[in-house]
Formats: sequence, C-alpha cells, structure tokens
Amino acid sequence: MNVLLDLIISTSTQGLIYALLSFGVYITYKILDFPDLTVDGSFPLGAAVTAVMMTNGSNPWLTLPVSMAAGALAGLTTGLIHVKLKVRDLLAGIITMTALFSINLQIAGSNLIINRDVDTIFTSAFVTSFLGSSSLIYRKLIVSLLIVIMVKVLLDLYFMTKSGLLLRAVGDNSVLVTSLAKDKGTVKIIGLVISNALVALSGSIVCHEQRAFSSTMGTGQVVFGLATVIIGTTIFQKFDSVHGTTAALIGSIIYKACMQLAISLGLPANLLKLITAVLFLAILVFGNYQKRHNATLKQKG
Amino acid sequence: MKKLLAVLIMATLAISTASCAGKDDVKSIGISQFGEHASLDNCREGFLQGLADAGLKEEEDFTISYQNAGFDTAIATQIAQNFSANNVDLMCAIATPSATAAFAAAEDKDIPVIFTAITDPVEAGLDSGNVTGTSDKLPVEAQLELIRSMQPDASTIGILYTTSEPNSVSAIAEYEAKAGDFGFSIEAIGVTAQSEVTLAADSLIAKNVDCFSNLTDNNVVGVLPSILEKTNAAGIPVYGSEVEQVKKGCVAAAGIDYFRLGQKTGLMAAKIITGEAEASEMKYETISEYSIYINSQALEEMSITLPDDLTGQAIESSEN
Repeated sequence: MNVLLDLIISTSTQGLIYALLSFGVYITYKILDFPDLTVDGSFPLGAAVTAVMMTNGSNPWLTLPVSMAAGALAGLTTGLIHVKLKVRDLLAGIITMTALFSINLQIAGSNLIINRDVDTIFTSAFVTSFLGSSSLIYRKLIVSLLIVIMVKVLLDLYFMTKSGLLLRAVGDNSVLVTSLAKDKGTVKIIGLVISNALVALSGSIVCHEQRAFSSTMGTGQVVFGLATVIIGTTIFQKFDSVHGTTAALIGSIIYKACMQLAISLGLPANLLKLITAVLFLAILVFGNYQKRHNATLKQKG
Repeated sequence: MKKLLAVLIMATLAISTASCAGKDDVKSIGISQFGEHASLDNCREGFLQGLADAGLKEEEDFTISYQNAGFDTAIATQIAQNFSANNVDLMCAIATPSATAAFAAAEDKDIPVIFTAITDPVEAGLDSGNVTGTSDKLPVEAQLELIRSMQPDASTIGILYTTSEPNSVSAIAEYEAKAGDFGFSIEAIGVTAQSEVTLAADSLIAKNVDCFSNLTDNNVVGVLPSILEKTNAAGIPVYGSEVEQVKKGCVAAAGIDYFRLGQKTGLMAAKIITGEAEASEMKYETISEYSIYINSQALEEMSITLPDDLTGQAIESSEN
C-alpha cells in the first residue's frame, strides 16, 4: 500500500504546486476573458529568480515574494502593452513571453542546479523544526498545501472586495464597468499583475522542489493551465457554490493524476500523451453528461 | 466527482499492486529517458547490453520499467516520482533533465541514480551524492584534427548552437579554446529555438565558412536535413558529432559511440545492484575512445578525398 500512498502524495504535491499557476490562468482566462500567454515566460521567470537567489545563499522563504514581484512585473508589462499601446491581447502576451525567454537566461546565466546542501523551503530550519521527523515527500505535501490554502483563501477574500468585484465585472460585462466610471484598462492590468505573480510563485516552488531551473520549463504551461481550469469548472459546473479557485485546484490535481495514471499503466512510453488526452476527454464528457442529466431532472421536477 | 476520483485511485491501485509483485532478490530498475532520439535510444540499448555483459539476466536478476518523457520536464518529474513510489532499486536517467528530476525524486529514499548522456555532470550538480554515471563529452580535439586532415586549407569553422543548452555552451567554449591550435577560427551563431536554426544556417553560409561542425545540440540536430539541403547547395561540408548524424548525410564525425557509452553505464549499474559498489563512491566516467565515422557518398559530393591515414580506421556509415 505504501506504493500507492507515495504516488498519491507526490502526485497531489505536484497538483498543489501547479495549482498556483492554475489560479493565475483562472483569473485571466475565466474571469477577465483574456487569453494570457505571458504564463509560458513568467513561470520560468519565478524559477530563474529563485535559482539565482538560492545559489547565492539567500533565505529560501525570501525567494517566494521576490519571484512574485518579478512575475507581477511581467504581468504589468503585458497589461501596459495591451492597454496603453493598444496591442491585441494574444499578441501582448506573446511579446512579453518572447522577451522573457531572453530575460530568464540573462537572469540565470544558463540552466541552473541547486545543490543538495543548500536548504530549500522544504528543508529549511523553520519547516524541519515542525516536521523534521516526517519524510521529505510529506514535508513537500504539507508545505505546498499550506501555501496553496493560504493563497486560495486570500484570493477568495480579494474577489469579494470592491476591486475584486470590478475584476469579475470586466470579464462579464465591461459596459457596466465603464458606466460605473471605472477604467477597465486599469482593472485588466491589476488582473494580469495578480495572475502572473501567482504563476511565478508556482515556478519558484517548482524550482525549490526540483532544485533546478531550465529555460524551457515554461513551454506548454499555458496549455496546462487552460486544461486544468476547464477540467475543474466542467466538473463543478452544477455546484454554484464552489469557488472557481477550488475548481482550478481540483483541475490541477486531476491533470497530474491523469499523467501519473498514464505513466503507471506502463504502456509504450510514446503513447503517454495520447493516453492523457483520452483521459481528459473522458472527464470532460463525464462532466457534460452530468450537466445534461441534471438539466433533465430539473425539467421533470 | 467522488466516483471519478475513486475510479482514478482504484485504477492506480490495481496497476501499482500488479507492478510491485516480484521476488525480493530481483532488483527493479527504472529507466527514465528524456525523449525519443536516436542517440538516447542507443544509450538505452547499450545500457541493457552492459547489464547483460555483467552476467545479469532480465526477469531473473532485474526487471526494467522504461518511461520516456517526450522532452517534457514536468513529465520527467512525475516519471521519477513514480519510480520512487514504486521503490525501485536503481534509477537510470538518460539526458540531463531526466537525471535532475530523478535525483530530486530519489532524495527522500536515497535511491541510487545512474545517468548517461550528460555532457557536464559537475555543472549539472550530479557529481556528489548517491549518483554516478557516464558523460558524453564531445571529443573536440579529435574533431578539429579530423577537419584539418580532411580540409587542409580550411580556416573558419561555422557552428550553430542553442544558447540555453549548457552542453552546447560548454562545447562552444572548448571549440574556441582549442581551434587556434589547429589553425582554425570559430564562427558560432546562437539560436533560442528550433525554428531559428535554418535562418542561422543561412547567415553562417553567407559568412563564407569553410565547413560546419555540429554539436549534440537537440535543436540543431533535429533539423539537420534542412541544414544539409542548404549547405549542399552551397558546397559546404558539414561534420557531425556522432554516427547518427553521419548516417543522415554529414561528411564525417569524430564521435563517441552512444551504444558503448550506455554499455559502460550498464556495467556500472550492475555493480550497484549487485551491491559490489555504492553509487555515492563511484566517480562519473567519461568515454575516452572515439571513432571516425564517414559517409563516402557525402564526401564524394563535396569532392573531399579521405586522407590515407584515415582509410584504415574510418567506419563507413552511410545509410544506403
């Protein structure tokens, strides 16, 4: 049974860490209706900043806010390009993402590895003082769980503030925002800043977990984020009370679980992505079936 | 939703219990390969041959679980975690991203990791700890010597490389340091993505280089046929860095044999799983032997005659 337990723990940990990225994509794609491709650049940006700070002996916890600030700056850039220079949303993201590829390499120099004798957030004295007796994979799970819960609660609270409500209004009904005499451009920029700060935070924690930064680690992260948000919201579409953040979080864990399931199936290695695609399709069809099923029930009732 | 999760868990459970059924004295080896690629495949086959050479038999002495990440680092992470959860006795990682992921996943249980096809294990942080393996550092000097003997009048060597690949960056540095000894100068153009490689090839040709020399750069090697199309039209010979590139149409290469590299790794792995040695006490090894591979059809097209001192040792590697 230990095998299964270990698999569940490490897969959940991956899902949790990457859920921060899903939160970011949830804000831009689902709330702002803004397809933001900056993610492929801001994710490794967080890792690059973290790797450089760690190899220079910085406090591991300090890397988290610094990475978030760097990601926020990336989001701000995309926002300004889109709002002030009037570049189309997709292209604004592509421009920042492309620039970030060079910037990330400039920051890190090359792909970077953090040696085992350097403490990460998972092995820092602060964590080991509480969880020192438990093994590393448990510590990774608990630390990421705490961080994700904290971020999720803060986000849910933010969405209920005036600024958060405006954010939601821009995606749903931007005319309303203008009629409230608010600048929807500013609101979009705020959304992009928060989103990319979260994406970079995710990149930073992945760097802690893997002890590595590679310049290509961002490739495909937008697609991952979109998939998790869509999977999550499809599954929870009949529950109105479920927060979007919860849906994104569950979506991320399910995505990683599907990957792990495909790996565990032990089929020819090249079929991995195909299996994953089939699993996703099954989940989406299952979600849609539930929705229709409930609709029929309501009609009958 | 609950049903769905239950199905996922049950499926994983069924699979993992099935996969961990085995005798205790049969050691399990998880091979994590970064992607499907001729040189990396050769490494893997060589690795299995190395285990066989050490007298170990599959099913009797060891079992193999092979996974390939399709060049995706996030998947390489999950593959390594899967191996760790299944308590494999040894992880074999082919190429740097897989090795980094394996080493991170092995940290908790201190599972030994053996790597291959890594150019610079020191830079990759894989030179200490419960980890060892083999490096595929290019025989740069031999390559320069080969080019000099094939093209006595050449002065400039053009090289294309990806700026984000540490393997390529360190190889370029070595080329630049040693080119002078053979009377060459290096004209290197860096790219950031595969789509830029052919454009960069055009500008190298425009700079009138006397030949191209390849590294083991994945982006460049991936579009080798379209590079060769351009260089053939311009009459510029291209030297490869290993046999697979010569098969595809490079004129020649001084390259290491990835099958033999894998074989060496397999022999080291055998020592670890039989308990003869600890990975933490074994230093990583490089392969010092190299072979000269030639493609006589390509040589003929470039009207290069093979020097007499090479005819004996050169291995004909054209595909047809």
